[in-house]
Amino acid sequence: MLAPMNLFRTIHERRELLWNLAARELKQRYRGSVLGFLWTVLTPLFMAVIYLFFLRLLAGRGVPMEEIIIGVFAWQFTVQCANAGTTCVLGSANLVKKVAFPLEILPLSQVLANAIGHLLSLLVQFPVLAFLLWRADSHFAAAWPLFFFWVAWQTMFNLGITALVGAANVYFRDTQHVVGLVLSAWFFMSPVMYNMDFASRLAGQWPWAADLLYANPLTVIINGYRAALLPGAHAGFPPAAWVGLLLAPATLIVGTVVYRRFQNSFADML
Amino acid sequence: MNAIEAVNLGKRYYRRGGLGAASLFGALTGRSGPKREPFWCLRGVNFEIPVGRTVGVIGPNGSGKSSLLGLTAGTIHPTEGHVRVQGRISSLLELGAGFHPELSGRENVFLNAALLGIPREDVKKKFDRIVDFAELREFIDMPVKHYSSGMYVRLGFSIAVEVDPDVLLVDEVLAVGDLSFQFKCLDRIRDFQKRGKTLLFVSHSLETVEEFCHEALLIHHGQLVARGEPAEVIRKFIRFFMGERGGLHQTEYGTRAAEFGDVRLLNAAGNPCETFETGGALTVEIPYVAHRRIEKPVFGFSLKTANGLYVFGTNTQIQKHDIPFIDGAGTVRLALDPLRLMHGNYFLSLSMHSWDHVEQFHRREDWWPFAVQNPTGALGMLQLDSRWSQQA
Repeated sequence: MLAPMNLFRTIHERRELLWNLAARELKQRYRGSVLGFLWTVLTPLFMAVIYLFFLRLLAGRGVPMEEIIIGVFAWQFTVQCANAGTTCVLGSANLVKKVAFPLEILPLSQVLANAIGHLLSLLVQFPVLAFLLWRADSHFAAAWPLFFFWVAWQTMFNLGITALVGAANVYFRDTQHVVGLVLSAWFFMSPVMYNMDFASRLAGQWPWAADLLYANPLTVIINGYRAALLPGAHAGFPPAAWVGLLLAPATLIVGTVVYRRFQNSFADML
Repeated sequence: MNAIEAVNLGKRYYRRGGLGAASLFGALTGRSGPKREPFWCLRGVNFEIPVGRTVGVIGPNGSGKSSLLGLTAGTIHPTEGHVRVQGRISSLLELGAGFHPELSGRENVFLNAALLGIPREDVKKKFDRIVDFAELREFIDMPVKHYSSGMYVRLGFSIAVEVDPDVLLVDEVLAVGDLSFQFKCLDRIRDFQKRGKTLLFVSHSLETVEEFCHEALLIHHGQLVARGEPAEVIRKFIRFFMGERGGLHQTEYGTRAAEFGDVRLLNAAGNPCETFETGGALTVEIPYVAHRRIEKPVFGFSLKTANGLYVFGTNTQIQKHDIPFIDGAGTVRLALDPLRLMHGNYFLSLSMHSWDHVEQFHRREDWWPFAVQNPTGALGMLQLDSRWSQQA
C-alpha cells in the first residue's frame, strides 16, 4: 500500500520534470507530421466506422455508433499506455544509466502524456457524440460529469499496467511480444465494438463468461463512460463488476510495488 | 563536514547469466542459461571527502572508477554498503545524456535542468548564462539533432556547471570542444574550487589530476589501494600498473644477444630512488650481459612524460662515446647532471643495438618510471639556462 503513497510524493516533488517529460513525449509524437494531433482523433474515429460496418456485416446486428466511438477512444487510451510501457524504460536507457532521478517518473510521464492526449481527444469526441445524439433527438445524459471520474479511474489502471509492463520488459524482452498478443485477445474480451446488450446472448449460454467479462476492469470503465454520457446506455452492475472495478487500484498497487522493487537494477540491466 | 561519504561500498555484477534470466523461457523453465558468475567491480571501498575538496580517481581501465562515480551520482545502486552525498549534486558522467534529439536547444535546457531537479524559475534566470557559456546564442532554437558533436557537449557542460551544484562529478569529459572551450571549462572548474565546491573526478590524464586535485584515490580491481597526495598516488600508480606489472604502453623486444640486467636509478648520493629534483643529479646504472662478443655496441636512452610526449633521446654513437666491444657481464652508467626535467612523472627507455642499427639486442620501452619534483618555482617542462641583465 505504501508504494502508491510514495508515488504521490514523487509526483509532487518532481512535477516540473513530469510535465517536461510529458510535454517532450507529446511534442515528439506530433512533430514532423502534417496532421499532428489530429491523428489522435482520426484513428479512433476511422476505427469506429470500420467496426460498425463489419459488425453489421458479420453479426447482422448493430451497436449504436455512439457506444462504439466511446469504446474505441477508451480502448485507445489503454493500448497507448500498455505500448508506452514497453518502451518507457528501455527507450530511455541513456537517461536511466547516466542521470540520477526518480525512475517512477518514466511510466508516470508516459501515462500523463497519454491522459492529456485522451482529454484533448474529447474535444472532438464530445461534439461528434453530441451531433449523433442530436440527430437521434437526444442529448447527453445528466450524469456526464461522472465521465471524468472514469477517466481518472482508467488513468489509475493504465498507470499500473505501464509500470508493470515497463519493469517486466527490462528483465524479459519477450514482454513486448506478449503485450501485443494480450492486447489482441483483450480487445475482443472488452466491450469496445460491442456493448453489454450485444454480449447478453452469450451470457445466457455461458453465465461464467459474462462474469469474466464483468471482471475485466475495462468493461466496467467503458460501461461507466457510456452510462455517464448516453441516456439509453445502462449496463448492469453484477457482483463480478466489483472485481473489475477494484482490479484497477489493485493493478496500480501491484504495478508500482513491482516497479519500485526492481527499479534499482534497471541501470545494470540496460 | 563531509560532502561525500562512502562506507563499505560494493557493487556486484555477473560476468554471465545477468541479474535475472535473459528470456522469459529461461525464467519459466528455471534455467538461467550459463551458470551465474559474480564479480565485484567495487568492494569494501571506504572514503570521505570533506566539503571543498577536489579529489581525483585514477586507476587502470576496468578498475571500477566509473562505477564509483555512478554509485556516487546515484545512477546505479550499491549491492552492499552505501554512499552519502550532502547537497545538490550535478554530474558530468555523459554530457547531454538527457537531451532529446527532436527538441530544440532551448527546450532541452529546461528538460535537462528538470532532470537535475532545478526549479524552472531558477533555470529561467540562468538561461542566458547557460547559452552564452555554451556559445550557442544563434542555434538555441534549432533541434539538437542538427547540432555538431561539439555544440552538443558544450550545451551539456554548460547546463551541468551553471546550475550551481554543491558537488560536481566529472567523468573524463574536461576535454570537450575546441581548445578555447576547453580552457573555459578548466577555468570554470577552478572557479568551482575557489567557491568551495566539492569535486570528484575520474581521469586518465594524470597531469590533469595532479594539477587540479587536492587528493587522489587509486582504484585497482575494485579496491581502494591508495589515497593521498596526488603526485604520490600517481607515482604509485605508474610504478605498479605501468611499470613492473606489464603496463599500458610498456614494450620489450630484441634478439637478446645482449641483455639488460637489473637497472637502477640513483640519486646524487648514489642511493636507489624514484623521485629526483630538478637541477639535481640522476644516474642510471645499467648492468648488462652479452652472450657473445659484440663489437662497437650502441647504448641509447630516451625520456617521455607520463602522457607519452617524447622529451629527449640520444645514444653513445650520437654522443661519440665509443664502446669498443662488450663480452660477458659489465655495467654502463648514464649520468643526467644537472637534471633539466621539471615537475612531473616520466618514463625512461633503454636500448642496446649494433653500430649499424641492423641488430637490436635488447630494448625496453617506457620501462622505468620516475618522478621529478621542482623546488625552484620556475614553470614549464624543461629547465633552460637563462640569465638576465639590465641596463639603466
